[in-house]
Amino acid sequence: MSARPELITIEGVTKRYLTSSGPVDALHDVSLSVEEGAFCTLIGPSGCGKSTLLGMLGGLVTPDRGRLLVDGRPVTGPDPRRVATVFQEAGLFPWRTTLQNVEFGLELQGVPAERRRQTAAELLGPLGLSGFAEKYPRELSGGMKQRVAIGRALALDAKILLMDEPFGALDEQTRLLMGEWLLDIWRRTRKTVIFVTHSLHEALFLSTRVAVMTARPGRIKTALDLTMEYPRAMESSEMVALRAKLWSEIREESLRAMR
Amino acid sequence: MTVVGLRLGLLALFLAIWEIAGRKVNPLLGVPPSAVLPSLRDLLLLRSYPDLPASLWLTIREIGTAYALAVAAGLGCGFVLGMHRLVGRAWGPMLAALYAVPAVVWYPSLMLFFGLDAASKIAFGFLLGFFPIALAVLAGIRQVNPQLVVVARAYGAGTATVFRRVMLPAMLFTLVGGLRTGLVLCVIGVVVGEILGSKAGMGALINHAYGLLRTGDYVALVLVTLVLVVGSDVLASLLERRARRWTE
Amino acid sequence: MRVRILQIVTVIAALGVWEVVARMGWVDPLFVPAPSAVAPALLKIGRGALAGLADTLGKTAVAYVLSVVLGVSAGVAVGSIRLLREVLSPYVIAFYGIPKILVLPWIVLLLGYGTTPAVFYGVLHGFFPIMVLVMGAVRDVDRTLVAVARSLGATTWQLYWKVLLPAIVPSVLGGMRLGVVFCLLGVLVVEMFAGVRGMGHVLGSYANGFQAPELFAATALVSAASIAIVLALDHLNDRLSRWRG
Ligand SMILES: Nc1ncnc2c1ncn2[C@@H]1O[C@H](COP(=O)(O)OP(=O)(O)O)[C@@H](O)[C@H]1O
Ligand SMILES: [Mg+2]
Repeated sequence: MSARPELITIEGVTKRYLTSSGPVDALHDVSLSVEEGAFCTLIGPSGCGKSTLLGMLGGLVTPDRGRLLVDGRPVTGPDPRRVATVFQEAGLFPWRTTLQNVEFGLELQGVPAERRRQTAAELLGPLGLSGFAEKYPRELSGGMKQRVAIGRALALDAKILLMDEPFGALDEQTRLLMGEWLLDIWRRTRKTVIFVTHSLHEALFLSTRVAVMTARPGRIKTALDLTMEYPRAMESSEMVALRAKLWSEIREESLRAMR
Repeated sequence: MTVVGLRLGLLALFLAIWEIAGRKVNPLLGVPPSAVLPSLRDLLLLRSYPDLPASLWLTIREIGTAYALAVAAGLGCGFVLGMHRLVGRAWGPMLAALYAVPAVVWYPSLMLFFGLDAASKIAFGFLLGFFPIALAVLAGIRQVNPQLVVVARAYGAGTATVFRRVMLPAMLFTLVGGLRTGLVLCVIGVVVGEILGSKAGMGALINHAYGLLRTGDYVALVLVTLVLVVGSDVLASLLERRARRWTE
Repeated sequence: MRVRILQIVTVIAALGVWEVVARMGWVDPLFVPAPSAVAPALLKIGRGALAGLADTLGKTAVAYVLSVVLGVSAGVAVGSIRLLREVLSPYVIAFYGIPKILVLPWIVLLLGYGTTPAVFYGVLHGFFPIMVLVMGAVRDVDRTLVAVARSLGATTWQLYWKVLLPAIVPSVLGGMRLGVVFCLLGVLVVEMFAGVRGMGHVLGSYANGFQAPELFAATALVSAASIAIVLALDHLNDRLSRWRG
């Protein structure tokens, strides 16, 4: 696995926000590298800069210091052909149908209507949205909305998928199912995923690598490589031990963040 | 900081352009700011219009009377409509439909009925102020969570207590907003009434200056009236803040 | 159903009471004519009043179109550019709140009598509420939608056309509903103050001539027209929002 080339390199990235109530150090000297095809999960207390880091990779936020390389090239702005982002809120356009939402990115790129319609329609099957092409977001359940958002990101066929707590707003059962579904999609498309979650279960069930971040200003505290086969038996003694280890790391930071 | 600077700069630029353009085009009609200052001085020293205080006082009295009537009638009407579901459902939309008529169409009738004196201005101010107050009461009552009323009743609260402890705090936000809008509209109603036809008050002075093409005086009188308008709104917003604190 | 009945009963009762009061001579019929006297007056003023109404509505339509176009454009521009918004919003709010009647004499001095001051003053009334509403709507557009579009590589142009504008459609419709009454108000006020034609002028001259039945009839006519316009806009709004959800 470690023979694979590095697709994403983050080096010494620092970010400070200037707010009306003073400066906020969101990230401090963060370095991380992610191999092609990896499923890398970021986990850490709220406000530790996970979204900021994803925003940087997506080209929406510029770092104060350090650099970010994707495929050996520095990130200078949004580049949907290489990096696609899924946000915590589905962020569907309420005036567009499922199909129109999925094809939105292609539309922005100027792909002809015929072709983008076809690409989007082909995605609906794997998204489990076959019967919902003409529905508007308000007619969809929370899990469906999030799948449409993921479909919209997949439509451009970027190598890298950034997912910022994509299942954070869903109920637990839906969440578990969405995790299984995402695992399936990832294994089929072989994308490189950077995934933010608060769920230990999701982190252990999905990831090839878990990076634990410290309380603000966020740094990478530890990174674990997970080599178990998929689908993983979550009750195996190995997993239970890992889970305990991960929890103790996160617990410490969450406690610090609460103070 | 830069925002405030830009705001002031914009204001200065606006006045400068007005000054230059006003002088160039037609100093009489353009009324450059520099021409207003002497007029304003003469006005405030009671040289140009010695009856300024009397006029101002008359306008204030008209506003006060109109507002008092609007508050009384607006609250009364709003509560009657709000408490009786059927009446409210029937009359509410009718009130709203009347609200969709530009109020100034009523003014000629009021002038005919009440004459050119204060009464027609008071009536018009009342008419404008009444609607937002009545509609705010209606909206406020609709905002009260019926669950809360049930809970309060279950704890043995009487009608008066329910009203004071549950309904009033829940609707106060909307109610006070309506009272404030009502005041603004009362002021506008009285001023509109005076300008459309009157023998006394600020509007009459403004019309006098305009009729004689004393444009400097006209602008000065408008500025004084604006102080009245802005002052009343500031007063209302202070009361609004007080009321908010009282609910918390 | 009961609501409708009560509404009809209310109107009939009000007219009845008014009729009785006027017949009994409790109010001076010179000032308050009975409904039975207003109805024939409506027929009598018919053509002249309708011409006046047409004139007023024509000016209102021009003012309205200008208000909507200018108000929406200004609202979008100022709402979407942060610096512009921060610098200008106090002025916009101030202009929105100031009683415009105070500048009316000046407008008439500058623009004279006739159509131009009426349209201008109508726009002055219609523009600001629409702009303020649109400005707020643009400012409050869901940030996630903007982030999504940007992350998918939207250009500035695409951000406006494909995200901002569709997102504010409901507010624009709301502003259009609000604006029409303001425009009509502005036009009527000018006609009353310095009109030579139009419904405002008609109303004013009936009042000055103590022609109460005619005045009441004309007032009823404008009110009905205004309510009809607003109800039509509401209906349109309903249809549109059902269609787009
Ligand atoms: N645009 C911004 N302006 C100011 N502060 C921000 C901004 N974005 C994030 N922050 C602050 O930076 C910190 C990190 O935020 P974020 O990256 O969203 O954390 P996380 O996603 O881990 O919860 C938080 O304290 C947040 O309040
Ligand atoms: Mg976050």
